[in-house]
Amino acid sequence: MTTKVLIVEDEPEFMRRFSNAVLNDPTLSLVAAVSTGQAGLAMLDLQVPDVLLVDLGLPDIDGVQLIAHAARHHPGCDVLVVTMFADDGHVVASIEAGACGYLLKDASAERITASIHELRAGGAPISPGIARRVLERFRTKASVGLVSGPQPEPEPSPLTPRETELLRMVAKGFTFETIGQLLDISPHTVVAHVKKIYRKLAVHSRSEAVYEASQLGLL
Amino acid sequence: MLVLLLSVQAWATVVEFEHMQRLDSNATQPPDPAPADRWIDTALPHVMPAAPEGQPPRVTWYRGSFDGPAAADSAADWAVYLPFFYNGGQVWVNGRLVGNIPESTPELRVRWERPHLIALPPGLLQPHGNQLAVRAAAAPMHSLQHFPRVAVGPMAELQPRADRRTFWVRTMPQVTVVVCLLVAGFVLFIYWRRRSEVLYGLFGLAAALWGVRTLTFVIERMPVDSWHMWRITYLAATGGFIVVLALFALRFAGIRRPMVEKGLVAYWLAGPTALWLLGPGYEGLVNRLWSAGLIPIGVAILGLSVWSMLRQRTLAAAVMPVTLVIAVLAGVHDYMVAWDAPLLARWMPYWASQRIFLLHYGADLMLLGMGGLLTARFIEAVSSLQTANRNLADLNETLELRVAERERHLAANFDRMADLQRDRAAAQERQLIMREIHDGLGSRLFTSLLRVERGDMSDRQIADTLRDCIADMRLALEALAPDDDFQAALGNFLFRWQTQMQEARVQPTWAIDVPDSALNLPRQVVLQLLRIAQEALTNVLKHARAKNVRIELRQRSGMLELVVVDDGVGADLSHGQTGRGIDNMQARARQIGGSLDMRSGAGGTQVVLQLPLSISVGADVTVGAIGPSGA
Repeated sequence: MTTKVLIVEDEPEFMRRFSNAVLNDPTLSLVAAVSTGQAGLAMLDLQVPDVLLVDLGLPDIDGVQLIAHAARHHPGCDVLVVTMFADDGHVVASIEAGACGYLLKDASAERITASIHELRAGGAPISPGIARRVLERFRTKASVGLVSGPQPEPEPSPLTPRETELLRMVAKGFTFETIGQLLDISPHTVVAHVKKIYRKLAVHSRSEAVYEASQLGLL
Repeated sequence: MLVLLLSVQAWATVVEFEHMQRLDSNATQPPDPAPADRWIDTALPHVMPAAPEGQPPRVTWYRGSFDGPAAADSAADWAVYLPFFYNGGQVWVNGRLVGNIPESTPELRVRWERPHLIALPPGLLQPHGNQLAVRAAAAPMHSLQHFPRVAVGPMAELQPRADRRTFWVRTMPQVTVVVCLLVAGFVLFIYWRRRSEVLYGLFGLAAALWGVRTLTFVIERMPVDSWHMWRITYLAATGGFIVVLALFALRFAGIRRPMVEKGLVAYWLAGPTALWLLGPGYEGLVNRLWSAGLIPIGVAILGLSVWSMLRQRTLAAAVMPVTLVIAVLAGVHDYMVAWDAPLLARWMPYWASQRIFLLHYGADLMLLGMGGLLTARFIEAVSSLQTANRNLADLNETLELRVAERERHLAANFDRMADLQRDRAAAQERQLIMREIHDGLGSRLFTSLLRVERGDMSDRQIADTLRDCIADMRLALEALAPDDDFQAALGNFLFRWQTQMQEARVQPTWAIDVPDSALNLPRQVVLQLLRIAQEALTNVLKHARAKNVRIELRQRSGMLELVVVDDGVGADLSHGQTGRGIDNMQARARQIGGSLDMRSGAGGTQVVLQLPLSISVGADVTVGAIGPSGA
């Protein structure tokens, strides 16, 4: 059973690079490599992939829209957002939309396939900057709930203490190996934690969106 | 008018005597009608001096005849009416005593202000030729004896006259006494609580004195023993009233003359004290000298208040002189009534015959005026207080508005300043990035382009250069990210190089202990520091062929120290690319005020950067202000 990969990337050089990496790995199969968001949407629904590699800077629609569509209609599909510099704001927005990780554009072919396998094995990549932002997102949401929420009780952070600690360590630049040693878990468990955290952030942001929508009278 | 005087005036059926016969006689019943020549025909009202000193008191009998009711209505009640009968006496009709009004005795002194209406027993009168005889008791010494126009008629017609007169000469003084004393008590209480309001004190005193003085019309019987004390009290009250009025007028006109005030009070006390010391025999003297002295004071009050009125030209200032003029006119009137000035009798005989005194009404009016003035002052004070309060509130509001406006202004200014600062910061940041691109990335790309065009670079070299450029750009992005600080930049750096070195099969060891004082390092400094570290690590990966590399960052005696040590083959530090890289690092270290020490040998290479924490912060303050902590 191979892992089906869909690539949405408008720059031909990178599309070729990603496609080659996927094609050269016998355990991966390329569903399609398309260069527009609309084509990506169509392909997503036509043949649901296991992994979606998506660039944010698409010519027609925002990549985040594509990620949200995949997360809503195909929860079994893991999304990796492709970014030039891991500029964290975009990546966190993508994770909130449902992405499970990011991939640097200049990553080597090995790095690309390794990331896809890690993702399927239940892990997710994270950088110190993203860890900081995720921590911030949860903190501000909790405090916003505290100040202006309709319920007077402060919304408890959905993160467990261990997850929070892990994020803090990542933010300081510790490697997964170091973190695993310090927390007495395997590096594999560390990345599994990261994926869970990403899911929580996505759920969190979606519940917030639902709340906002109901406030606006849309639901 | 002469006709009127001479005839018996018939008022409906009322008979009013304008003439009676008079006989000085101490008899206790009507003297024998004869001998008729001893009776003197007398016009009424009749006035004559009391008996001079040394002679027995003069008692006088008056007699006259009148027609009674017609036979048909003989049953009607008739009465004898005496408008005044100061000293008392007896009233006889047809030889029968019908009224006995008490006269003064050695123990009791009387003066009847009230009118007397004496009902006649039914059946006493005849249709014609009824005889009326009145015994008028002697007047006190040094006074005049008055006898009124006596009237006889049906009770129903005389009663209203009696009531009217009772009201004016008896009820009104009683009311005046009560009201004056009540008002005095009230106003003096105010003065007691507010001593600064001297006008209230004077007004209260004047009211009290006038109340006491008016008692003279209310008290009709006085024991002889108390008479002298009463006369002293009366004089003190009368003189005191005028003196207090003068003080009031002075104060009201805004004149403060303590000597004049003291003199007035002294004069006031002088009269009653003299009378008290000298005894009753000197009352006439005291009256002549001291009471006369009150007249110029009264004139002075009038003059003062008129002057005050002319000066102030307000309604309030006019009240005093107007009431004073009225009081003076009333006084003149009373004088004429009392001493029976023929002028008044000629022009208003009936009025004169009624002997109604007006002075105390003038005084009442004056007290009313004073009370009104004080009330007006009080109201004015209250309303000015309210106005003051309102003004204060307005002022407060204005101030608050101004403060709010000022605050808005300040906030706007502050916003503008913040905007300016932001603009400046943004401009500086742009400048910083521009410099980075120009000096770093730009010059590197240009150099590489020239070398590639010359065919001087292999594909591998080109790839390396581009990779270096990307790495440098990444570093710059991390170090200059607006939301992140040194710690974040360092975290990203660590993360990236960890992966990179592991892929290159070099085992890194990190010993990072960033002091708090380093967290606020200017971005420029952070960027150069990380660049030096990156350059050192790049050199390790490219040239050292090392297995291990140790990276340390810590504070050592006020310096921030970065150490990169590898266990590689060492490097020739003076030539080629390595040399240029080292020159570059040295230049960067100098730029941020630090020093770079580099040693290379067979055991590996060691790079040590030392950066003075305080100086480096101070060296680039403007850049430092851009940090996220400063935003």
